[in-house]
Amino acid sequence: MTAYNSTMILAILPEILLLVLGVLVLLFDVVWKGEKRRALGWLTAGGTALISIVTLLIGRPGEPQSVFGGMLRFDWLGFAFKQIFLLGAIATALFMMDIEKLSRRGQAYALLLTATLGMSLMASAADLVMLYLAIETTSIPLYVLAGFLLDDDRSAEAGFKYLLFGAMTSAVLLYGFSLLYGFTGTTSLTSFVGSLPLALGLVFLIVVGLGFKISAVPFHFWAPDTYEGSPTPVAGFLSTASKAAGFAVLLRLFLTAFPQFVEQWAAVLAVLATVTMTVGNLLALAQKNIKRLLAYSSIAHAGYILIGVVAASKLGVASVIFYLIAYLLTNLAAFGIAAAFGRAAGSDEIASYAGLSRRSPGLAFAMLVAFLSLAGMPPFGGFIAKVLVFTAAVETGWVWLAVVGVVNSIIGLYYYLTVLKVVYLYRMEGENEEQYPIPLTRPYALALTTLSIAILVIGVLFAPWFDSASLAALNLF
Amino acid sequence: MDASQIIFGLTALLIIFSALRVVTTRNMVHAALWLIVTLLGVTVLYALLQANFLAVVQVVVYVGAIAILFIFAIMLTRREMRDGGPQLNKGWPLAALISLAVFGGLLALLYNAPVSERLAASLEGQDTLGALGQALVSPDAYVLPFEVASVLLLAALIGAVYVALNKKQESDK
Amino acid sequence: MMAGTLPISYYLGLSALLFTLGVLGVLIRRNALVIFMSVELMLNAGNLAFVAFARMYDMLNGQIFVFFVMAVAAAEVAVGLALIVAIFKTKRSIDVDQMNSLKG
Repeated sequence: MTAYNSTMILAILPEILLLVLGVLVLLFDVVWKGEKRRALGWLTAGGTALISIVTLLIGRPGEPQSVFGGMLRFDWLGFAFKQIFLLGAIATALFMMDIEKLSRRGQAYALLLTATLGMSLMASAADLVMLYLAIETTSIPLYVLAGFLLDDDRSAEAGFKYLLFGAMTSAVLLYGFSLLYGFTGTTSLTSFVGSLPLALGLVFLIVVGLGFKISAVPFHFWAPDTYEGSPTPVAGFLSTASKAAGFAVLLRLFLTAFPQFVEQWAAVLAVLATVTMTVGNLLALAQKNIKRLLAYSSIAHAGYILIGVVAASKLGVASVIFYLIAYLLTNLAAFGIAAAFGRAAGSDEIASYAGLSRRSPGLAFAMLVAFLSLAGMPPFGGFIAKVLVFTAAVETGWVWLAVVGVVNSIIGLYYYLTVLKVVYLYRMEGENEEQYPIPLTRPYALALTTLSIAILVIGVLFAPWFDSASLAALNLF
Repeated sequence: MDASQIIFGLTALLIIFSALRVVTTRNMVHAALWLIVTLLGVTVLYALLQANFLAVVQVVVYVGAIAILFIFAIMLTRREMRDGGPQLNKGWPLAALISLAVFGGLLALLYNAPVSERLAASLEGQDTLGALGQALVSPDAYVLPFEVASVLLLAALIGAVYVALNKKQESDK
Repeated sequence: MMAGTLPISYYLGLSALLFTLGVLGVLIRRNALVIFMSVELMLNAGNLAFVAFARMYDMLNGQIFVFFVMAVAAAEVAVGLALIVAIFKTKRSIDVDQMNSLKG
């Protein structure tokens, strides 16, 4: 029996610290009373930021290696994704602080941290057992978080729908895992040896399970309803970090297990990407509710990101990671704005955003940055991300897919600009907007300012970020 | 034909029949009871496959806990045990077609699979339970999944308690 | 030992059939609890396949996987049923076709 060594501890350092932080939050939940409990959000966000810094300083991987008897890979790919999830958790914790009934419940923050822990493990899992447990550790807290506002009909329904879809697809995924085990004789992620029909069958079962996580069409039905009904910060977390975790698994699983069938599964994913982008964008055109609009837009973005997976090259993987970073910053900002506005105005309808530029110039400007980045406009992060993904596709011969992506981006531009038109050009009917300011609390101001600056920074100074993404991508080849 | 084949045949028939009843019966309590029969059938197969430990866990966790939870949930959500109204959703013909396709696909998959015709040598004489226990806490085997499972159960506990207590506060008002 | 006389493919065929019945239940039923029970059927089908494969390879790792799946299933059911009961308290129904306060 081998003993534990320091590498093993370093490999799961973020997970250990997240667990400690979760316990601390539960502890202070009991100790702090009344108004003091608002500080739980600061504790969660600050603690997660500290975890991120600590792992950046001392938890960096060296040469990729397997730890815990092959349960985990300790490599840059997992490390990069873990930082993405931590960032998502920080912003989400800040946004949760001013949602009533969420902000003073230690359970909400503890569940958020557990879900983040599960995602971290998803990103580095190299064994089917570990992967399955990690996926469930992510999902189960998120089911509760989506339905956290139990008195609210729509939130309970959102959690419930998410749960039903999640349970079904994870059962399908489990069956896929059982066959993968049966045909290889091992639960560790190794190259699958077998005939093509066999591999394709497994790919289908796995795509159902992960298609749910990344909300790809036709496994997207839950997404609009769940995003609309969930507490807005939770919806933001679901659409960014949870989606990124799905992509982390998708990349590692397909590139490790089925490298010799890359042409075939890439074709399957190319079709999936096309359908996802097109359906997401077309349905987004008709939305009147900002959260539903963002839900369909997030489905469309899953399609763009899939283009990078289809490329299955170093540039492809790097572009996926870069896209996920840009998308996480942008979409978290968008959902944060929706949360701030919904809290003050009591409405998520796009029409009620009329006159926002006068009611709160700061919020309107953050919205401009976020929506232009979502639309893929320079000089924001979303632009570089799209360029990279499309370049990766063209480089590996998927020219038609890149063209579909570009056409879809143009459709997307239309509905993002429509929202901005309401924000900047429309006025509140016969009212003086200055009398209805949108107050921004400190956590929101902090998170939105940071996110907006970050969107600009990675759009302009993208080289260092892209280099990190490329370094992570190398681990799969 | 020997004893194990007869046992397998009978159990298989029982599993298929009871699973079909779970899916089709109108009476919710009956559905839960048929689910228990299915789970017990699977237990018999575990025993046939010499997974003795899992057979016990299946009875304790699945039959003892999960199925009972279902019955509680039925009692809490139904004033009437019978489910009135239409049982099937509108898209059921399509759903049935999809299921048929799933079955065909799985059979084709298994037909192509490199599965050996016979079962491998028996594990008898080995200390499977001991090996299982060792593997679960060994750092180069399953200690990490084991710990993660405990975190998962803790999170589920927190979540379930939150959902349950929240309801209580509401009814107190 | 008597189990040695049964081909592994019997078990796999049965597991495929059980999985299909689970899928059928999930897709055609409207009652949330029955849908959830059908998910349990699918999980059991997966577990059965795992145990059969573990027997085929004469290895324990398949059995350990099933052990973890059971733990996860218990957690999922606890949370799921709590949510179902909670939603019943507000909506007085657990019919998935009546879950329509979210539209679009």
